[in-house]
Amino acid sequence: MIGPWIRGLLLRRPLRMWGSVTGVALTVLFLSLLLTFVLAGRANMTARAIQSVPVDWQVLLGQTASRTEAVQAIQAATPTKTILPVGYADVPGFTSRTGGTVQTTGAGKVLGLPIGYAAAFPAELRPLVGAGTGVLLSQQTAANLHAGVGDRVQISRYGAPPVAVTVSGVVDLPQADSLFQAVGAPKGLAPQAPPDNVLLLSAAQWSALFTPQQTARPDTVRQQLHVRLNQILPGDPGRAFDQVNRLANNVEARLAGSAVVGNTLAARLDGARESALYAEALFLFLGLPGAILAAALTFNVAGASAAQRRQEAALLRVRGASERRILHLGGAEALTVALLGTALGALLAALTSPWLTGGTPVSLLSLLPPALAGVALALSATLLPTWQAVRQSTVTAQRQSVPRTTTPLWQTLYLDVALLALAGLVFWRNAAGGYQLVLAPEGVAKASVQAEAFIAPVAFWLGGTLLALRVMNRLLRRAALRRLLRPISGHLAAVVAAALERQGSLLKRGSALVALAVSFAVSTAIFNATYNDQARVDAVLTNGADVTVTGGPNAPAGTQLAALRTLPGVTDAQPLMHRFAYVGADLQDIFGIDAAHFTDVSRLSNTYFKDMTVKEALATLLTTPNAVLVSQETVNDYNLALGDAIHLRLLNAQTHQYQVVPFTFVGVIREFPTAPKDSFLVANASYLAQQTGNPQAEVALLRVSGDPARVMQDAQHLTARLPGVQVTDLKSVRSTIASGLTAVNLAGLSRIELSFAVLMLSAATGLVFALGLAERRRTFTVLNALGATRSQLAAFLNGEALVVAGLGGLFGAIIGLGVAQTLIKLLQGVFDPPPEHMLLPWLYLLALVLAAGLSTALALSFAARASTRRVTEVLRAG
Amino acid sequence: MSQTPSLPPELRPEASTPSLLVQGQGLTRQFEVDGHCVTALHDTSVAVRPGDRVALLGASGSGKSTLLHLLGGLDQPSSGTLTWPALGPAQHLRPGNVAFVFQAQSLMPPLTALENIALPLILLGQGTADAEREAQVWLDRLELSALVDQLPDELSGGQAQRVAVARALVTHPKLVLADEPTGQLDSVTAQHLMDTLLCVLDSDAALVMATHDAGVAQRLNDIWHMRDGRLTMITAARGGTR
Repeated sequence: MIGPWIRGLLLRRPLRMWGSVTGVALTVLFLSLLLTFVLAGRANMTARAIQSVPVDWQVLLGQTASRTEAVQAIQAATPTKTILPVGYADVPGFTSRTGGTVQTTGAGKVLGLPIGYAAAFPAELRPLVGAGTGVLLSQQTAANLHAGVGDRVQISRYGAPPVAVTVSGVVDLPQADSLFQAVGAPKGLAPQAPPDNVLLLSAAQWSALFTPQQTARPDTVRQQLHVRLNQILPGDPGRAFDQVNRLANNVEARLAGSAVVGNTLAARLDGARESALYAEALFLFLGLPGAILAAALTFNVAGASAAQRRQEAALLRVRGASERRILHLGGAEALTVALLGTALGALLAALTSPWLTGGTPVSLLSLLPPALAGVALALSATLLPTWQAVRQSTVTAQRQSVPRTTTPLWQTLYLDVALLALAGLVFWRNAAGGYQLVLAPEGVAKASVQAEAFIAPVAFWLGGTLLALRVMNRLLRRAALRRLLRPISGHLAAVVAAALERQGSLLKRGSALVALAVSFAVSTAIFNATYNDQARVDAVLTNGADVTVTGGPNAPAGTQLAALRTLPGVTDAQPLMHRFAYVGADLQDIFGIDAAHFTDVSRLSNTYFKDMTVKEALATLLTTPNAVLVSQETVNDYNLALGDAIHLRLLNAQTHQYQVVPFTFVGVIREFPTAPKDSFLVANASYLAQQTGNPQAEVALLRVSGDPARVMQDAQHLTARLPGVQVTDLKSVRSTIASGLTAVNLAGLSRIELSFAVLMLSAATGLVFALGLAERRRTFTVLNALGATRSQLAAFLNGEALVVAGLGGLFGAIIGLGVAQTLIKLLQGVFDPPPEHMLLPWLYLLALVLAAGLSTALALSFAARASTRRVTEVLRAG
Repeated sequence: MSQTPSLPPELRPEASTPSLLVQGQGLTRQFEVDGHCVTALHDTSVAVRPGDRVALLGASGSGKSTLLHLLGGLDQPSSGTLTWPALGPAQHLRPGNVAFVFQAQSLMPPLTALENIALPLILLGQGTADAEREAQVWLDRLELSALVDQLPDELSGGQAQRVAVARALVTHPKLVLADEPTGQLDSVTAQHLMDTLLCVLDSDAALVMATHDAGVAQRLNDIWHMRDGRLTMITAARGGTR
């Protein structure tokens, strides 16, 4: 009997069966894609973290440690690609005599690099001028000493007389922070700033020059082993972090305290681990509501045919079927829905995954849990109504298609108000400060997402939906509904209102589902739009502009400004001075801008400034020539107050000496395009030029209307003869932004979420509406038989559409806005810098409205046509 | 036409007579079921005049409901001509001139008994209050006053059919088409319903009732016998007045 029963259901109850199959398939599809995205994202973050490490380990050898033994210990602990020794020597300073003047720097470091170091660790050195080997000066030191290729530089030594070397090249040290990290420093200490003055020698020369110093002052000379591991690490950054830490501990244990591992790789994985947790949090915040929605849709579709099931159960009973038998048939139906839905969902996931997740195919791991969830959903959603039909329905109940409504318990208990109050309370507490969504203490293996964070959006979502139902209860009272319906139902408003009022529970169910679908779609779309815009802001903050040409003191890009302006696709070009100034003994980046035109090419946000807006900050710079904006850290360190006179030391181009320049502290700046995170200063370019005798800007910022890649190529071509000039665009910096999550790019998740939201909304409006109307097809056929005209029939149908899609959509949009605001506030950690306001993606929202409108119109047209077809059969059916 | 039995002169379809409520000639209705063409009504000619009380008698599947739906303009014939000389074009038949009473539950589930009865008047453009006032009169007339606020699901089968009768008659239709209205009722309730229907029906209104119950058919004037989609015979009923 089961075979014919299932065949009959598939052929004769297509909406019910295929509707449920669609719900299960959507759930499986959505969960699979999300899981694929999260797993791929994690692996991607780990890979990026590994790629971004210039040197995996810097093993600091103690005075008594044997280099050979250390190498053997490392090789015994883990497979390695490269192990090279590097010498570090502290020196009191460097001196050079150029152009008749003598320049002397403060303390510095001299490194001894073995042959092949640059090739083994290419991220550490970037040759700018001259040779890539021999005696190399760091860019800043070369500027401080006014030394270039061929010049003589004298190295002061501790416990030994100075020695002079001839410079063979100038290099940039892009990873100076990690290269000069304090290996073995206690955890929790603030990172050590790299030295201002650095000179690099070949290993042999370094050894010859610093052996005397080592003998006299062994505390100033150190040996490190720079190691590139050859390990295949797990895709999960947390597990990879654990493994790398264990390997480092093993090395330290083997060397019995004579060496300490500076674990740069673990530090980077630590950061990626935090980003991975943010990604998982996003998955939960954005993904789970979608999955819940798909499940709710399935339950709704299955529940919409409750009357049909009651009739079937009654018929089967009349024909002698036992409860057990009826439940068996229900079980077979549920299993069919489960198999078809899961298979369809998995197939769709396999087909769409490469497109939606950015090229990642689904794996067994990303298919199995969603498939199990799909089976569980199908069984519960399909079997439950059958069980209810069998167990709970009396003969009278089986006839009752419009039950008298009672006040639900949640409404009596004011659960909606309680949930919204809870959401507000948690949101206020979290927004008040000191809140971190992801807790990943540095160096600690255990990291976690604060579960409390989920309370506010979930409570808001559920509370908002319940409140919408409460409001709808009021609106569905005849008097209110009649007024609401008059524009579309005309003189039938009263009777349509009466009919809708009594179908309140059915309509509210559909309306709640639409509200949930709309709120999901709206909140997801707003969050994604805000996130994408903020990712762009983040990229602009790092790069400075669409395309940035970065030169140096010897080759300022500002000299090419006029030529750069004429490149095809460039709409504007502005100079940006990037120099260094001593604040006390601390050397900091100072940026000189043209306050009147800086925002023509770059982007500044109010959140970058403390207690002032962008407009106010720029206006202050314009009206105060010697104004300087100072980073919060510097303000704290030097106890500065607004209006204070600050004296900075800047290099004068004429005298080649650092000289004191007076500034007025006018405001605190938190972030600035191209600036470092911690300490920096922003001043007027004209004032800097005047005070330093150097009008040339080191950086050129380009605003581009055409293809940035093309502009980048042209700019590279134009500046090819300037040594060390770098040209970057937003795309190229996005991949190197420190925040792993931003680098992973939410595009894949956005595509999944946004496509799914449209699908869900269409299904919630169209499918559920169509199912409800199909269940009541006889009612509309009777209405047709009574002689209702097409417009009168439409008055009834449109009334339902207004309540289900119109009110549901309206409440959903309001809830969606609230949830989006909550999400953005709670996920502030994802944003760097935080957004000023939500961004409404109008085009997508319009597409949502069109999708919902179209599916509703299709359902209405289906119902209107169905009421005039096969009239005889329908009217004769009981 | 060859299959149509010879009709008495007063029922013979002639050239369109203004007094005829409905006149059908050579009516055939075919349906497509699972890719096969099924003929539910074969080449049938009929005419109904004001005051007629006609029983369509035949077994299940004989074409009674199909013919009834065609006469009420609820369905269109596949071939043949169908006109309503005294009632106007097909689109002006319902609600008002033609009313149906169906075999199965046909009340609007979310509307009360009163609202169900008032519905055809509202569809005709009457104000809700006026329509409900008139509906109340019919409820009283059919002794259904106690059920005024009851929903269809809360009514017994007999009560629901009486409400359906009131709904059909509230517009004072000229032609009432009843499709086995007693088919799902016990004999006592069926008898009561027939009494009510015949009692409250306007004398100049025509009634065509499909039934497979010969007893019910005998209470009307004429019996049109149907078999396999054909009108095979017309007889005068025992209880008829003609």
